Amino acid sequence: MYRVFLSWRYLLTRRTNWIGVGGIFVAVGALILILSIMSGFLESSRAMLRGDLSDLAIAPSQEGRGTDGSSASSTRTPAPLLERLFADERVEAASPRLVWYAQAAGDGRRTERLMAGSAGDLSAIQLIGVELRTPALLAEAAAAPLLAALGLPLVPTAGRSADGRARDEFSTTEFFHSLRREPLRGMRVQNPLLPFERPRSYRTDGRPAAAIVMGESLMSGLSLVPGDEVEVVTILPSPDGSVTSANRRFVVAGSFRTGAHALDLERIYMDRAELEDLLSGHREYSEILVRTKDYDEYGAALKVDLERDFLAAGLIAGGYGRNGEIVAFPGQVKTWEDSRQNLIGAIKNERVLMAIMLSLILVVSGFTIFSILTMMVTEKRRDIGILAAVGATPRGIMSTFLLIGFWNAFLGTLLGAAGGILGATYINDIEIWLSDLLGVTIFNREIYYFDEIPSDVEPMTVLWIAAGAFTSTLLFSAIPAWRAARVDPLVALRNQ
Amino acid sequence: MTDTTTTSVGSGRHGGAEGTPILRARGITKSFPIGDRRLDVLHGVDIDVGRSESVALIGTSGAGKSTLLHVLGLLDSPTTGTVELDGVDAWALSKEKRASLRNLKIGFVFQFYHLLPELDAVENVLLPSMIRYGRGAYRRRKRELDTRARDLLIGFGLEERLDHRPEQLSGGERQRVALARALFHDPPLLIADEPTGNLDQATGSQVLELLFSEQKSRGLSLLMVTHDARLADRCDRTVYMRDGVVLDPSEVKDPLPVVP
Repeated sequence: MYRVFLSWRYLLTRRTNWIGVGGIFVAVGALILILSIMSGFLESSRAMLRGDLSDLAIAPSQEGRGTDGSSASSTRTPAPLLERLFADERVEAASPRLVWYAQAAGDGRRTERLMAGSAGDLSAIQLIGVELRTPALLAEAAAAPLLAALGLPLVPTAGRSADGRARDEFSTTEFFHSLRREPLRGMRVQNPLLPFERPRSYRTDGRPAAAIVMGESLMSGLSLVPGDEVEVVTILPSPDGSVTSANRRFVVAGSFRTGAHALDLERIYMDRAELEDLLSGHREYSEILVRTKDYDEYGAALKVDLERDFLAAGLIAGGYGRNGEIVAFPGQVKTWEDSRQNLIGAIKNERVLMAIMLSLILVVSGFTIFSILTMMVTEKRRDIGILAAVGATPRGIMSTFLLIGFWNAFLGTLLGAAGGILGATYINDIEIWLSDLLGVTIFNREIYYFDEIPSDVEPMTVLWIAAGAFTSTLLFSAIPAWRAARVDPLVALRNQ
Repeated sequence: MTDTTTTSVGSGRHGGAEGTPILRARGITKSFPIGDRRLDVLHGVDIDVGRSESVALIGTSGAGKSTLLHVLGLLDSPTTGTVELDGVDAWALSKEKRASLRNLKIGFVFQFYHLLPELDAVENVLLPSMIRYGRGAYRRRKRELDTRARDLLIGFGLEERLDHRPEQLSGGERQRVALARALFHDPPLLIADEPTGNLDQATGSQVLELLFSEQKSRGLSLLMVTHDARLADRCDRTVYMRDGVVLDPSEVKDPLPVVP
């Protein structure tokens, strides 16, 4: 009984203890706050790194062998792959995408002149033909006013199969959705649901050009505004081995900004059918984007299963492995994390390094507790003697001082965890207040492309930090407590 | 002052085994290492304290009386010899059991009071009970113990000082709180180390009156170290010490002076 009573009394009456509690509070709070912000950065960066990547992407190679050893090449049409994908219950949505490289110029300059080089107004670009099921969406959009008049909600169903699984890129990637949502990043088009709708400002004398959406940097580089036309030129291989060129004018429907400069400078999105038409049917698709029902649960397993099944069906290419078996060429079926492995690894690594460095604060606070308790044992030698005289055992005396460490650890960790969680939750309010107070910009939103400081409090991280702080404090308390138990009560009682 | 033999006298309500002294020490020696040498402080002391008996232990400085008191109070181990407390060979027990025996059987009163400065008067009195009982048992008894502690302190004339901390009390008040702590759960043996040594004469007399009246009414045994011959006179028996041995009364030529 006296252990708890006395330790609590010592904690309350000895002000130095509150320095210890304060030290642990700062250490735990700082760790939780900074790691939560790092987690937030990791999550936000993952979202940025992911960009328009789907859960899985299937990009069959051109040459290879099937499991039976026969020569196999990718199918020209995505239909067989899609059919097999939708046979798997784990697949939520899948859509084909066609990617081709070209060059573009604004101001209607002639293709022959532009082909001379990439300087000036000519830009190397990536044409991305996406499956948005625009005609079906347009039809739905046309019905929207009627539905609204009847008070019915507009639930887009275009492109969905009977079981509700979708075949459009709105469903396979976050890209178009995220561009519709975010204020700093985003798509500036007339209708985000129908990005390839020609803008009202567009006027044409002859056959209307198909609409495209281009990266913001590219658009400004080419001095274009929505409604302008852009010339696109590309090279196509012919069956006889020679090459031909193709060019076409497109109308700029709008722009997008991802925050990743390379993407904003190079990419042009258009309807897959339009790009297929530009390529004269040379390619129908480059890859198939897949969304799983639960990426964290199924992603990795689905990749393995699909690779095996597609190889067996000759839908992706393979070669001979070391032991003579047929193995799929790598990279034909990959998760989005495979595509961003290095960058994600770097951010994760940075978080681990930060955690290790910050853990040193815990060690410092542990030393503070050690010093405070050591000082207290010296100061309280007489009390230790009194306790021994009235019947306390050495073990009881040790427990009393260990309990003082416990209260320090308990209160410091509890307050630190509460402070850290509150700080991480209201970090943006704190940042604004501090910026106003100090008159400096603490968080530059332009640099990070984040609207606010991202913060993600992970309960497991909080638990680990709390457990670490608690354990280290108790360990640091153990030595002074042990020394207290060894104090000779006689020497203590004799000293006045 | 009656005699200086080791025969125990008296039996009170802490009777225990009939005729068995509450404290019996035999052949106590105590040596301290000083560098490569040994300093022998006690040289084979035999001493008994009977039930309800009061014994004064007197001697010149360096005679070894405080060392003997600590050994008999189970605070310091003898180099050789045995100490039986209420029939139990105390130094044969484990540290835990010896601490428990000390808690149950001995009440200490020190010259410098030795109260815990962070606790008020009532809490200081309750300290041995807090140590004695586990958390649950103490909580169950808390109300009763608290009332008893307050009553005891009120009985000692401290009704205005119950919630005061030691630093807010005078020397006499502190010693009365220390006495209440020592007596609180009725130990059969009270050990007092110059209990009035730090008090003025008037206050010291008041404390002594209280000490002896409680000892008599409760039937406790008292072993008291003192320099004061007048104080020793009030005890049933006096034990003289010199150079680490108990003297025969016939050898005592120069009894201690009466402290003015």
